Amino acid sequence: MSHVTHPEKLYDRLRATVRPEEGAIPLFVYSDPEVYRLELERLFGRVWLFVAHESELEEEGAFVVRQMGEQSVIVARGDDGEIRTFLNACRHRGMKLTSEDCGVASMWRCPYHGFTFANYGNFMGTPFERAAYPPNGLDRERLRLIEARCESYAGLIFATWDKDGPSLPDFLGDLRWYLDIFAGRAQMELVGEAQRWIIPSSWKLPSENFASDAYHTATAHAFLARLGLVRGVDFGRDGYHVDAGGGHGLGMGVHDDRPGSWFPQELEPEYAAKLSPDQLALLHRVKNFHGNVFPNLSFLIPNFIPVDGQLVTGMMLRMWQPVGPDRLMAWSWFLVEKNAPAWWKEKGRRMYVQTFSSGGMFDQDDTENWEAQTEVANSALTRPDEVMLDYTMGLDATPLSDFPGPGDVYDGKFSEAAARSYYRTWLDLLLEEGR
Amino acid sequence: MSSIWILPAEAISPQARIAAEDFLVAEAALLDDRRFDEWLQLFTDDLEYIVPTRTIRRRGNGSDVDWSSRHYDDNKASMSLRVRRLTETDVAWAEDPPSFTRRLISNYRYAAGPGETELTVKTNLLLFRSRGISGQHDLIAGERTDVLRLVEGRLKIAKRHVVLDQATLGTKNLGVFL
Ligand code: FES
Ligand SMILES: [Fe+2]
Repeated sequence: MSHVTHPEKLYDRLRATVRPEEGAIPLFVYSDPEVYRLELERLFGRVWLFVAHESELEEEGAFVVRQMGEQSVIVARGDDGEIRTFLNACRHRGMKLTSEDCGVASMWRCPYHGFTFANYGNFMGTPFERAAYPPNGLDRERLRLIEARCESYAGLIFATWDKDGPSLPDFLGDLRWYLDIFAGRAQMELVGEAQRWIIPSSWKLPSENFASDAYHTATAHAFLARLGLVRGVDFGRDGYHVDAGGGHGLGMGVHDDRPGSWFPQELEPEYAAKLSPDQLALLHRVKNFHGNVFPNLSFLIPNFIPVDGQLVTGMMLRMWQPVGPDRLMAWSWFLVEKNAPAWWKEKGRRMYVQTFSSGGMFDQDDTENWEAQTEVANSALTRPDEVMLDYTMGLDATPLSDFPGPGDVYDGKFSEAAARSYYRTWLDLLLEEGR
Repeated sequence: MSSIWILPAEAISPQARIAAEDFLVAEAALLDDRRFDEWLQLFTDDLEYIVPTRTIRRRGNGSDVDWSSRHYDDNKASMSLRVRRLTETDVAWAEDPPSFTRRLISNYRYAAGPGETELTVKTNLLLFRSRGISGQHDLIAGERTDVLRLVEGRLKIAKRHVVLDQATLGTKNLGVFL
């Protein structure tokens, strides 16, 4: 089944033009409305999507309202202690069960006619039920909330509508080794609610950027070097580029002639207990860390500007929520070690906010690019020719053979291997190849 | 400090109110004119510049202002860096070419303090922002709480908190100061 008007024509065009292995991607895929319909159905409708962090749902009955693609979902810890993800839709007429961002509830009572559902999904009843539905009221089982599969890894909770797809660990694959370093090196917490803002950009552009694009930093974020905060281009070049497979990608900035990231001594025992010696060694070498969990969850350790004279490590989680072919809603959180001293949490938050957030000095410049790219991509919708874009950086490079972590790891961050892998995974899902 | 922001007339002298209002109007003009170096001079060295996020909550489910999650979390040093980025480099792409902005500051409410030489002023902010040739604009609305301090005979801003009126900002970045 497809909601696209002429699916065969679109499939043929995608097959002919999306050629990641040759470093060729057509401009139209950034913002084409029919491509977007397919993405909602075959990508956001099927793959594992980030929905919440475990630290947000510690209390029984705690819930947050999030999006999977364009669908509103409730992620809740039920009274039985289990975390589940439900479509935020009443089984009577489809009204949203809650319009809050978060709360604590043992049940949700629909504001329209009063159908009531427990925080573990069961239909509990409705007003005057026996009078309205004589003689015995409604069938409890049939009216259970629509539930997604829900699993977590390293504190990150993901959900999928695909009942038969891969498990979350299989979906994350080789990325897990790196996610351990980022999110699993200690018990973490998301601090506060997400910052949200609307960017008139295709949701793919920032996702791909975080997965693969360290190269842009020398130009788009040149202010760092101009103000003497980094030594020229090397902050975007030295380190590793990782194609972790499955469309997941990341980059790690490493300058072995300078000290790596700096962490509070108090947390070192926790890191050492949770990471392998290779992971721990890498953690201490990295200056910055950026990546994307396919399709739209980006993560980052920015370590770029001094906060009170110190280069602390602020961490960011960022979801690029599609709200149309050429618009997205950014959801951005500060992630920090739960057992960290207060000063570390405070300085880390300032590092994150001042560099990457709605007002962050880096983020601002990125949004300018993504908006203009999306506008240009809309021109491809009516052009007679196919505008092809260049994705060839590092096409002939050979991955390292002695790197301790998995995936295809390249020496130096100047590569687009992870972007090519992103579009390969994306294309296979859209065309349902391999299903 | 009064929580209702309506004070007996004698609490704040008319002269103080006029001075504060003139100061904030002039400050807005410096921003709209993009005279950022001069604007930065209006802050004390212990500046606290914070913009919290807003969330959607039912009544009775806590505050809809989340001070633990912030759009701006800055002090004098970081605001200086932001200004240097704009004035000393030609690569501050988010604001080059610059947005056209117009800040409307209104609904002044005053309270004495918190310090001896300080005055707290709440105002409404409506910031019009237009970029590029699209003919579109963003409106950013919020409530400022400023602590103005008399330093060597001149007013300076020691604290600015801005509570914005959107749970999801409708502008693509906060590359403009509030
Ligand atoms: S739509 Fe929910 S009770 Fe009718
Ligand atoms: Fe960037």
